Amino acid sequence: MTDIREPDPDMAAAELALGVLDGEERGAALRRVLSEPGFAADVERWRGYLAALFDLWPEVQPSGDVLARVERSLDGVPAVSTRRWGWPAATAAMGSIAAALLLVLMLQPVTAPGPVPQPTIAARTAPMLVAAIMPDEKGEMVKAVYEPDSGMMRLTGASMADTGKSAELWVIAGDGVPHSLGLLPRGQGMAMPVKPGMRPMMAPGSVLAVSIEPEGGSTTGLPTGPVVAKGALSEV
Amino acid sequence: MTPATADARARLTEALVRTGAEDRAAFRTLYSLTSAKLFGICLRICGERQAAEDVLHEVYLTIWKRAGAYEPGRASPITWLATIARNRAIDWRRANGVRPSINIDDAPEIADSAPLASETMVADEDAHTLHECLKGLEDRQGMAIRTAFFDGLTYAEIAERQSVPLGTMKSWVRRGLAKLKECLER
Repeated sequence: MTDIREPDPDMAAAELALGVLDGEERGAALRRVLSEPGFAADVERWRGYLAALFDLWPEVQPSGDVLARVERSLDGVPAVSTRRWGWPAATAAMGSIAAALLLVLMLQPVTAPGPVPQPTIAARTAPMLVAAIMPDEKGEMVKAVYEPDSGMMRLTGASMADTGKSAELWVIAGDGVPHSLGLLPRGQGMAMPVKPGMRPMMAPGSVLAVSIEPEGGSTTGLPTGPVVAKGALSEV
Repeated sequence: MTPATADARARLTEALVRTGAEDRAAFRTLYSLTSAKLFGICLRICGERQAAEDVLHEVYLTIWKRAGAYEPGRASPITWLATIARNRAIDWRRANGVRPSINIDDAPEIADSAPLASETMVADEDAHTLHECLKGLEDRQGMAIRTAFFDGLTYAEIAERQSVPLGTMKSWVRRGLAKLKECLER
């Protein structure tokens, strides 16, 4: 029935859901998730089909202290404050990426109250990176400034996601694979630490993209909804 | 779905939804209901207990943070939780450059037939159909797809483990998936 010389069928959505792709093939499939809504829906459908296999997975009891460790971590999680940067007000009047350099200068927290880490010019070795994350259709641009020495990224506020949805920020570096940086709070600027493992991806030419996800963000580790804005990082 | 299964699923959904409202007692209940399943997933993919417990720790921190985003209508609670565990375990293995081992001492074997209705957590007609459709594949196609899922392996890794050329392995899996699709959407 099946001719042996017939090319393999295009099963990229299923392959992505199953997790067998790597390298450029995975990158290409992920780009299709971003650009083809029908493809993204196929990937979701396959995730649903394959989930039936979880029933076959044998249970194994973990040692007794894992829950206690989890609870200790929860108790020790410091509250994250995004207020100290005073960013949204300071940037509200700025309309262009040309303002980014000025913005970087303004961000030096010379008069900030409290124990704000004070980056000094002498200590800085790596140039800052900026990106203008432009919406594909309507809406506000988000400006991002990344400071390699501290690993902090600061973003201006925008309201990209409707109520009940979350806007999630991704970095796409040389591997072509989106990696989540976190959620963008609605309408507020923010400062977010970039995890050490992800800092090498924060390089000139890497793309920052925003996708619309279920409230709380993608649960799959990859974008599941449409990409609504993107922009490349460049040095200043 | 049997009444007992429906009841278990309802209790799990409630624990997950209440965890999303930062209810610690519900979170402990959720842990007791699901930790053996999620640890089984982490152990199989990580290949050793210590790493699997570290990953399990992270998995429950992620669950605590994301439970508020769980939509009961969209996925079964155990699917939502198990997906987080599988993804985290695969991330760990890749980040640590651990080669997937062929012999996993601690991890029990995966059953190769459909579960009893009383044992299913995902459990609905779709699940039954997937198990039925998998049986209809050629052995090597079904084996490759199951290995990819349960061990969290890429094409290159399955091909290496089975000592089969990469192109051949891709072909088996693609043709198997195409046949599965045809069966599932019949």
